[in-house]
Amino acid sequence: MRWPVLARRDQVLRGGQPLAFGVGLVVALAVGVFLLLGSGHDPLRVYARMFDASLGDPRAWSVTLNRAVPLGLAGLAVAVAGSMGLWNIGAEGQIMAGAMGAAWVARIGGGWPGPVLVTAMLAAAVVGGGLLALGPAIARARIGVNEIITTLMLNEVAIRLVQWLVHGRWKDPGSHNFPLAPMLPDNGRLPTLFERAHLGVVLAGIVIALFGLAVSRTAWGYELRVAGSSGATARYAGISLKRKILTVMVLSGGVAGFAGGVELSGNADRITEGLSNGFGFAGIIVAALALMRPSGVAAVALLFGAVQIGGQSIQTMGVSSSVSTILQALILFGAIAAGVLGRYRIQMVAGDTVETPPTGVES
Amino acid sequence: MTEASLIGLLEATVSFGALLYLAALGEMITEKAGILNLGVEGMMAIGAVTGFVVALQTGNPWVALVAAIAAGALIGLLHGLFTVVLGAEQVVSGLSLAILGIGLAAYMGRGSVGQPAGAELVPVDWGPLSDIPWAGPVLFQQSPLVYMAVLAGIAAWFVLGRTRLGLAVRAAGESAPTTDAAGHSVAGLRLGAVATGGALAGASGAYLTLSITPQWTEGVVAGRGWIAVALVIFGAWRPGRVALGALLFGLTLALKTRLQTFGVDFSPILLSMLPYLLTVGVLVAISIRSRNRPSPAPAALGIAYRREER
Repeated sequence: MRWPVLARRDQVLRGGQPLAFGVGLVVALAVGVFLLLGSGHDPLRVYARMFDASLGDPRAWSVTLNRAVPLGLAGLAVAVAGSMGLWNIGAEGQIMAGAMGAAWVARIGGGWPGPVLVTAMLAAAVVGGGLLALGPAIARARIGVNEIITTLMLNEVAIRLVQWLVHGRWKDPGSHNFPLAPMLPDNGRLPTLFERAHLGVVLAGIVIALFGLAVSRTAWGYELRVAGSSGATARYAGISLKRKILTVMVLSGGVAGFAGGVELSGNADRITEGLSNGFGFAGIIVAALALMRPSGVAAVALLFGAVQIGGQSIQTMGVSSSVSTILQALILFGAIAAGVLGRYRIQMVAGDTVETPPTGVES
Repeated sequence: MTEASLIGLLEATVSFGALLYLAALGEMITEKAGILNLGVEGMMAIGAVTGFVVALQTGNPWVALVAAIAAGALIGLLHGLFTVVLGAEQVVSGLSLAILGIGLAAYMGRGSVGQPAGAELVPVDWGPLSDIPWAGPVLFQQSPLVYMAVLAGIAAWFVLGRTRLGLAVRAAGESAPTTDAAGHSVAGLRLGAVATGGALAGASGAYLTLSITPQWTEGVVAGRGWIAVALVIFGAWRPGRVALGALLFGLTLALKTRLQTFGVDFSPILLSMLPYLLTVGVLVAISIRSRNRPSPAPAALGIAYRREER
């Protein structure tokens, strides 16, 4: 009996992550063809519409860029934690916490000048997201509580907190008993760049670039990466792990909170319980595809923005919006498989014996 | 508070508890083998839609249940393929599975929204037992899936704790290389555990659309998959404690729609945060306690094992 096993390649296949990403995209689109045929649609026409609606003209680009903003910032939040080997699964809730902070400032600052109000809203958003991450950060740094589960749990708490506010204290008296918060004041909105695109696109780009530089080019970022690859090495080098975990987790939450503030101020009419819209979870996929490197996050987020906006546009053709959700997950699964096959080859071995890899690897 | 409404509350507590228990038990078995699967929400959605659609087509709730269990196992195996065979990051694969499952379920169910159920799992008739005051309606007029959840819990307790297979599964979750050296197939054990976890999540999802709310809507799972993940920790990876936790969390789900009828002036939304906050609290408590004694979590949870690299 011969079994297929994975054996490490002597040399990693060239092309790396962009290639794996491309393979993932092709796999996803190929599976999508079957889904579309299954629901009686012409895949070529649907894909053409998706492309036109997301990247076909400046207006389409502006909508896609707007969508890439929360995806990219959420991806960055995950990647910042991930570069130290930490998992922030709580971006979904931190986006909500950020939006809550921003919405609260907008409630009290209706009379302030626009730039002041928007700046204060975004600052409050960072604080809100950071605060939600603070608990898991302290728990992880001080007593070693697994941050995956704590951040995941707080998502549900934050979303319900918004729900509670919108159903109660923040309910617009003029909403005819609908559980809706009042509209955002006009001076609380981010200015427009072109077509639909708002200033948040630039802000997100700056934040992603700054973190990219900080992680890859500064001593702080180097220590982060050392701590991520080996806690023992980091301690030996005199890096304070506890402090690093604390600052990185809170920063990560702050970035996700910022995403919530920008989304509220740039894209939404009002805060709703649906504001985070899965951006936090999609951000984990974005960060994974970017291999936890902030530098790759922007490109992946743009593509995911295009898939999401394209996916919305085909609903008018009677295609279920679930197709775009499925595509996003399949891109990741395809890319993981491609990434693994780039590093390993499939080898047939007999029975129980396993050939040792050629390059004395120690795992 | 009338007697009838209190009985109704207890009945719903048991019902929701079983719903959560099925999924949590599956996640517990998966984690016992060392694999974290955060895709429970998606696997439940697949089970829910498969159960509903097959019930529509066959009119037989049992065929629908079997199909949902198989679909859950199959989508669970996708996580197994990526994490066990390809060694992918378990957190990423699991969350992608959640997204894929929710999307795929919406796609599969797109024609069934708003349709009346093709079949329902009717409550088991326990004869005279069902007529006992209090205990009758609460314990002996429930959907067959409630009793299956109890049986599954006993089976999990027995197999994991009292058999060689269970020992091997737990060993795979504690130390994969040691298990391998002892002559067990780590990949086989882990894939089996992941598939079992998927099957139970599928059954839990089917319980929603075949018993609790016999209709299909996209958000039907409504975050209960995340509660199931939480329950495993809350119950410290032990079938009995997970069952107690399931009843407690089931009570909060049952209370949510009943607070007003009981005249309690507390927001049902805030109440629904409780399972998540309790889990965070338990996790913190476990960590503080495990400074002196071993943590109840499987030691190799989340760590990929590549046999060819040992």
